[in-house]
Amino acid sequence: MPIELHDLRPVLAPLISALCAGGVFVMGTSGRWRAIWSLAAAGLKFVIVWSMLPGTLAGSVYIFRVGEILPGLSIAFRVDAFGLFYALVTATLWVLTTVYALAYMKGSHALKRFFGFFALCISTTVAIAFAENLFTLFLFYELLTVCTYPLVIHDQDAEARRAGRKYLAYTLCGGAVILAGMLLVFHSAGTLSLAEGGILGDVDDHRVLLLIFLTLVGGFGVKAAIMPLHAWLPAAMVAPTPVSALLHAVAVVKAGAFGVVRVLYDVFGVNLLKSLGFATWLGYLAGFTIIAGSIMALRQNRLKARLAWSTISQLSYILLAASLLTPAAALAAIIHLANQAFTKITMFFVAGAIEHNTGKTHIDQLDGIGYRMPWTMAAFTIAGLSFMGVPLLAGFITKWYLSLGALAADSGGFVALMALSGLLNAAYWLPIIYRAYFRETGIPQLREETPWMLLAPIGICAGYVILLGTGAQAPLMPFSLAESAVRLAFGLEGGIP
Amino acid sequence: MTLTSLLPLIALALPIIGGLAALGAGRRNRRLGIAVVAGTAVTTFLITALLALAAKDGLLREMTLVQIAPPVWIVFRIDPLGTLFAATVSGLFLLALIYAFGYLPDDRRQWRFHAFAMACQGCMIGVAFAGNLVTLLVFYELFSLLSYPLITHDRTRVAVAAGLKYLVYIITGGAFVWAGIILVFHLGGEIRFLPGGLADINGSPGLVLATFACLVTGFGVKAALMPLHGWVPDAHPAAPAPFSAVLSGVMVATGVFGILRVMFEIFGVSRLIEMGVLPWLGGIAGASVLLAAARAVGEDDLKRRLAWSTISQMAYVLMAVSTIGGQAVTGAFVHITHHAFLKGGLFFCAGLVATVTGATRISQLRGLAQRMPVTSLALTVLALGLVGIPPLSGFISKWLLGLGLADAGAMVRLGVMLAGALLAAVYLWPIIYRIWLPTDDPRFAHSHSREASGWMLGILIATGMLAVILGTAATLPGFPLDLAKNAAQWLVEPPP
Repeated sequence: MPIELHDLRPVLAPLISALCAGGVFVMGTSGRWRAIWSLAAAGLKFVIVWSMLPGTLAGSVYIFRVGEILPGLSIAFRVDAFGLFYALVTATLWVLTTVYALAYMKGSHALKRFFGFFALCISTTVAIAFAENLFTLFLFYELLTVCTYPLVIHDQDAEARRAGRKYLAYTLCGGAVILAGMLLVFHSAGTLSLAEGGILGDVDDHRVLLLIFLTLVGGFGVKAAIMPLHAWLPAAMVAPTPVSALLHAVAVVKAGAFGVVRVLYDVFGVNLLKSLGFATWLGYLAGFTIIAGSIMALRQNRLKARLAWSTISQLSYILLAASLLTPAAALAAIIHLANQAFTKITMFFVAGAIEHNTGKTHIDQLDGIGYRMPWTMAAFTIAGLSFMGVPLLAGFITKWYLSLGALAADSGGFVALMALSGLLNAAYWLPIIYRAYFRETGIPQLREETPWMLLAPIGICAGYVILLGTGAQAPLMPFSLAESAVRLAFGLEGGIP
Repeated sequence: MTLTSLLPLIALALPIIGGLAALGAGRRNRRLGIAVVAGTAVTTFLITALLALAAKDGLLREMTLVQIAPPVWIVFRIDPLGTLFAATVSGLFLLALIYAFGYLPDDRRQWRFHAFAMACQGCMIGVAFAGNLVTLLVFYELFSLLSYPLITHDRTRVAVAAGLKYLVYIITGGAFVWAGIILVFHLGGEIRFLPGGLADINGSPGLVLATFACLVTGFGVKAALMPLHGWVPDAHPAAPAPFSAVLSGVMVATGVFGILRVMFEIFGVSRLIEMGVLPWLGGIAGASVLLAAARAVGEDDLKRRLAWSTISQMAYVLMAVSTIGGQAVTGAFVHITHHAFLKGGLFFCAGLVATVTGATRISQLRGLAQRMPVTSLALTVLALGLVGIPPLSGFISKWLLGLGLADAGAMVRLGVMLAGALLAAVYLWPIIYRIWLPTDDPRFAHSHSREASGWMLGILIATGMLAVILGTAATLPGFPLDLAKNAAQWLVEPPP
């Protein structure tokens, strides 16, 4: 059993970001203060979250209880390995996204609103990661929806409003369904605390369990964009690029995936799910989403639309891996949270940099772009190859564990699915790379590299993709954190088979 | 970690770094660029050749570089098979890289070609030195992708189409290899190459068979095993001649190399016999020998004919290996090396002829000897070598292959091989007599004779002489035959 320690840091991390967001709202008319408060929100949280890594690796769990709203409904934070893993990914990427956003959004309207809510999103995402019980998780999950809405409609034109409405409609409905599921859990288990091994062990009514499964997984599945609940995501890409990056890679979709994994491992528990067999169906649905999302991505000409559909496909890797209920697959699910985040955010940053620099948004305009922006496109190439599953890059590691997990679960068909998905990824990333470097344009391409404030986050993310693929054992890689999360969820003692 | 165990890493990193250096240096100062390329290529060749000699004397090393995920390590090793292949690769690359200075127009893109080609060389050496399946896959995928800009270097419509076809085939093949590796790890709990194969591969016979099929299919795409050969006849003519030479000479052989590793060091001989896959492999390879040779006969485009010939010749190797007799495997290794230089040389000829006269079809070669006597002589020697006329190098490998097949009692396969050799004569002989027969046709009989000069002709003469030397002095210690014997023994009767 992990040692539980009372500590202020679990609540400090979200709180500090929220305070900084307040700073942006109050003093944000000045560009300099806006930048300072935004960077402070990201930077302070980054430091706090990383400072918990050594302790968590050593086996402690940090806890902070805020209080009870109603009997049984408490707000409490608990930092376990899985939560910290997600928080680390978010916190790290948020620093980069903030730097990028500061450069990208320069000169736009309503920047106070933008950066204020941007910082609030950081706060809520970390709170989601550290939530001790379903209620806290739900609370901040809903807050995240509210905080991202102003970002989605930032452009304030008709298209943005339409997308915003769609986004709200989907996610709030999802939230309502989660609420229903939560009630059922509380009614039947008497508690909402997330615990390794699950809390529904004593419930024997099969129908109630099925209903809980459908409501909770379906509710969180909206943000995880599992088909057929995905339609908000391609629409929401009208938002400015840093927001898309945030929606697609870091906060929103990952909050959904994180929620599903929590429900599977910490509400139901591995053993209960294995005996129930519901997860198999989730696996099939995720498998379908992987392929269908890729096929849709293949048909998009707008770069960000292709990225959005690819996100839908990639997120289902996490759901598929989590639903297989074997240790290796669970490892894949957790690691892919990071792998997908870094890889996809690289791509979104690149898409934004291209639009920012040249105004090009469609793939058929990208001929020769690799000579205009060599470093930027080099990063894009790395990310694309990673999604294809080329070894030494992050995507390979995901596929490796996912396939091993599938074989261990006697579902060898998913190995073929992985191979097929890799091929589909090749089919929609390679043409972009081909256009960037190999298509004749007839006109000499002038070198016009991205400004460094945009390029630096791109380069760091791309570098991390390589690091995730080669140096999983390096000191700053939270790989062992993912391993201990899996050990906790499966009650394993030694290594992961 | 001693210097010796670092040598594989150096041998693979050197060309990659050298290529980048040449890219930087060559665009400013051509002579400096040439010096960098030549120096790197020669050094790499020397390192790999020395390693091959040392491995024959019993040097075996393994070096673990980095762990990319807990069960997966990047491992390099020195063993007889890998070093022989690495030496062949760097030998042919040395010739091709120097040849390319004459072949490619002297402009900025030439340095791009060299940089990519040398990166490709480094990755192929990585394949040769890989100590486990994942390491092999890493470099296999990398050089496959790096080949794309080389195949499409000419930027013509044909080249782009061929490049696309190549990519589709190779990436699909890569996915099969990947799936096979996952299955191997799942069933065997190990991805290292072990002499005699993995200790246990536990699984239903169907699953074990599927694993083998995945790996052979995946590598078979690159080895141009029919019916997975579709990219070969398109990619070879499309690529610039120095790279066609490499494609035919060693890249196709890389697929065969992968299959060899899988057969002998993952599955192991006894398990292969038990699974009953060897007759199937032999049958498919035999069909490839004959069908590809028949297609070569009917092909008028010189480079395409040579490409079909490659498919046929590489299938010899697999056919021989499918007997798993020591003698036949020796022959297979010798054939890989000898064929690499012969076929590489023929592509050098084809490129040279095309540059000087513009002729790409065999029917346009009439009377070539009147105009380009030296080139014609080299072409003849190389073609005769490939047919297997003594005392040229092709004869040695064919003889050993035949002997091995007879030794293993595989009479049908021996017949197929002889028929294939006969067909090789049928498709190569017309080239020879068209060249040498004098012609009065004004289209072909130009009065002035004109040899290409410099780099290209020098390399051509070198490959021609190599065919003679490897043929006449084959038994000298340190020559491919000697190394191949050792490698075959190491694979077939692994040391305990």
